[in-house]
Amino acid sequence: MKKINANFRSEFPFFMALPAVAWQFFFCYVPVVCLILLSFLRSGNTAFDTQAVTLENYTYFFSPLFALVIGRSLLLAFCTAFFCLLFAYPVSYCLAIKIRRFKNIFLFFLILPFWTSFMVQAYAWFFVLEHNGLINTILLNLGVISAPLHLLNTTLSIYIVMVYCYLPFMIMPLYTALEKIDRRFFEAAADLGATQWQTFTKLTIPLSMPGIKTGFFLVFVPAFGEFVIPTLLGGGKKLFVGSLISQYFFVARNPNIGSAFTVITCIVLLMAVGLLYWFFNRKTVLTLTQED
Amino acid sequence: MIRSKNTLRYFLPVLAVAAYLFLYIPIIILIIFSFNKSDLPLVWEGFSWQWYIALWNSPDMWHALKNSLIVALCSVALSIVLGLFFVFYGSRNFLGKLLVMFYASLAMPEIVLAVGLLSLFSFFSVPLSLTTLIAGHTLIGLGYVVPILHSRFQELDKRYMEASLDLGATETQTLGLVIIPLMLQSLLAAALLVFVLSFDDFLISFFCSGGSTQTLPIYIFVMIRSGATPMINALSTILLVVSSLLVLIFSSLKIKKMDFLQ
Amino acid sequence: MKNIRLENIKKSFSGEVILENINLTIPGGKIFALLGPSGSGKTTILRLIAGFETADEGRIYLGDEDITDTPVNQRHVNTVFQNYALFPHLNVFENIAFSQRIKKVPEEIVQQKVNKVIKTVHLEKHINKSIGQLSGGQQQRVAIARAIINEPEVLLLDEPLAALDLKLRERMLLELIDLQSTLKTTFVYVTHDQFEALTVADTMAIMNPDGQIEQIGTPKEIYEFPASSFVAQFVGSSNIFNGTLRIKDDQQYLEIEGVGACQILAPKGKEWIYDGAQVFMSVRPEKIDISKELLPGFSNHVQGTVASIVYHGRSTQYNVRLSNNKIVQVFEQNEEHFPKEVIDYDDVVYLMWQKENVVILEK
Repeated sequence: MKKINANFRSEFPFFMALPAVAWQFFFCYVPVVCLILLSFLRSGNTAFDTQAVTLENYTYFFSPLFALVIGRSLLLAFCTAFFCLLFAYPVSYCLAIKIRRFKNIFLFFLILPFWTSFMVQAYAWFFVLEHNGLINTILLNLGVISAPLHLLNTTLSIYIVMVYCYLPFMIMPLYTALEKIDRRFFEAAADLGATQWQTFTKLTIPLSMPGIKTGFFLVFVPAFGEFVIPTLLGGGKKLFVGSLISQYFFVARNPNIGSAFTVITCIVLLMAVGLLYWFFNRKTVLTLTQED
Repeated sequence: MIRSKNTLRYFLPVLAVAAYLFLYIPIIILIIFSFNKSDLPLVWEGFSWQWYIALWNSPDMWHALKNSLIVALCSVALSIVLGLFFVFYGSRNFLGKLLVMFYASLAMPEIVLAVGLLSLFSFFSVPLSLTTLIAGHTLIGLGYVVPILHSRFQELDKRYMEASLDLGATETQTLGLVIIPLMLQSLLAAALLVFVLSFDDFLISFFCSGGSTQTLPIYIFVMIRSGATPMINALSTILLVVSSLLVLIFSSLKIKKMDFLQ
Repeated sequence: MKNIRLENIKKSFSGEVILENINLTIPGGKIFALLGPSGSGKTTILRLIAGFETADEGRIYLGDEDITDTPVNQRHVNTVFQNYALFPHLNVFENIAFSQRIKKVPEEIVQQKVNKVIKTVHLEKHINKSIGQLSGGQQQRVAIARAIINEPEVLLLDEPLAALDLKLRERMLLELIDLQSTLKTTFVYVTHDQFEALTVADTMAIMNPDGQIEQIGTPKEIYEFPASSFVAQFVGSSNIFNGTLRIKDDQQYLEIEGVGACQILAPKGKEWIYDGAQVFMSVRPEKIDISKELLPGFSNHVQGTVASIVYHGRSTQYNVRLSNNKIVQVFEQNEEHFPKEVIDYDDVVYLMWQKENVVILEK
């Protein structure tokens, strides 16, 4: 009786914990393997066939067109992250450090956009950027311009909406990091004679570094592969990584080249992330350290 | 010195207010024009519920909504159960060390996952349906559920589990009678999060859905591409209201969601 | 009532050996105390008995039954945790009833049992309160009730009074003794507080920081006849002297530097007792008399100067410096409001003790 129970006790947990692991394995890791396998098969093959193994899908990409697309996406991702940081920092700072009352209400409204679909957010900008949208109406009425500006379906509109949609991703880690800073550091700095600006540059920014780093990557990585926003706002003229992948799979119906391209972009992303990571961590340890 | 102090003092709040305006003005306009009588966007012709009514009468919308709800609810159920079991039972054996595995799905851009899933399904000749969508959404869900539940579980005093076992309960009884009640807030918050993520998800749904398995985001996407009407405004407004309610519930659960994101 | 037997227990954590070669028999139906400093492995022994840890080597027996491989939830052993571990989402009644609910005991019987047990711990008025509304002492009683409702063979108590203040602790100790004599369950009481151990135990074991059991015995045996200098100094205080044994025919005495020749009663039959052996002599502070005059009738005496005086309320502690600079502690009970003799700083005093009140320990 005891023997059975002992065995029962050790096997049971294994099988209960296994499904999640199996799920993750089959729907996250195996697909990646499938992608890689597909990329090595000649166009038109969706089942593994040793006869069809080839490298030709990869040679396809030694052309400037694809470097352009990847470069464009890298630039987009980087700028989005950068401008998100620029816009998010003042808000997060005010909320975390300056505001005392109603903090929760302000926070609530700041987080709310995170829960909205990108689609809804992107669509909302149509009304702002259109020929008779908000911006043009205001500028025309003020007499600043005489003819409506062509804002929609441009690279500018893509950038604006990207920053708009990804802003909450930057705000949240920033806010958390800033919130964690012990108020007494500011008091100590003031006591030692630092000006507001000095406190900001020498104390606040370094101490919020972990939040900055997290936010940067939280924006950069998804922004690189973003599909919805460039497609809706870009008018389909300029291709980004996301839209090109989609084209290969749905328009050209060539999953082999599509997966090859995906693999290449993944490698590029990895390198970019590695580079950024190195850049962020190369400075020497701060005088006031905070755990990552 | 004084001058720069003043500029800094007013500079920051101005920027902060600007950020809020930036975030909300487009949305507010969107909502306003959902009540527009005319179907020309941006030309206000009076208040009207017509777009909401049109929405109500659209069978495609209901179909997409039904699909979205089915997928979202199933994904929530699956990811919570699977995730909870992994966190709890995995702590008793080596499987728990595989926690790292679950971070991968969030570490790559969603499009890679979407395309990967598509390749997987075509490789194994699995027809695309709501089931394949649920599989993908559950995967995304796990990526959030496992870290949230794991961190909450680690915070729990180990003694509660020991006391429960000491008093004669089996592991499963301990899970049901002690652990789940103590983790309720986190479970609800994680469930809410997965629901919203699944409901709003576009990429995986787009890549892994067949013709008849359109979800709401895809419905919206198609509508936008084929010619915008204020019906989209109406739908968007409804989605906004629903999201707001969910966030309200989520906030009141007092979970430090942002901590987990770190 | 069944006894508990640990045979050749070895336990290590992350490569570090905490317990080795532990052999212990805990008599059934009594209160057994396990006393030792932090890190001595006493809690580990408790957890091994409960089943929260598995030994690397060795067996554990409850009566004749080998419970080494029995899982926690099947042992007839219950634990009262140090911080009580009361379930915060259940009220007092449900916490206590937990073990019965697990076994699907019918509702009326559950009510009966809980009410009976709650009377035993005197918490009838608090039966429906939530845990957060209880004080530390009340929480502790709920923890006890929760454990004993199961009628276990053994009740394990892991420093149960650590979180309570002094007066409450004293009261609870007596209540625990009462409880055990009513239930007749074997109690295993782990603590680092010697006062608790000496008060509550029928038998006790002392563990040293290396995870070894130094001595097992009744509180009186351990206190009056410590087996080693560790025990002598851990339980109560003791003055330890280095000495050379001198045995000539039937005369025995100890040569102690700074004191001279001390009359002693050397233990018989020990191989470390021989003429010329280096040994320890332990004299408890309360066994030494202090006076400015040399009083007759004592086997041993030495002179010294009072270095410091500490007033403890019911007793006064004198720290006396001998000629070789050794400090000797002396406790005198404050029997009178106005003592006949007042001893002050820098007074030259005599310290006197009987040879029967000395313990010779191996070095």
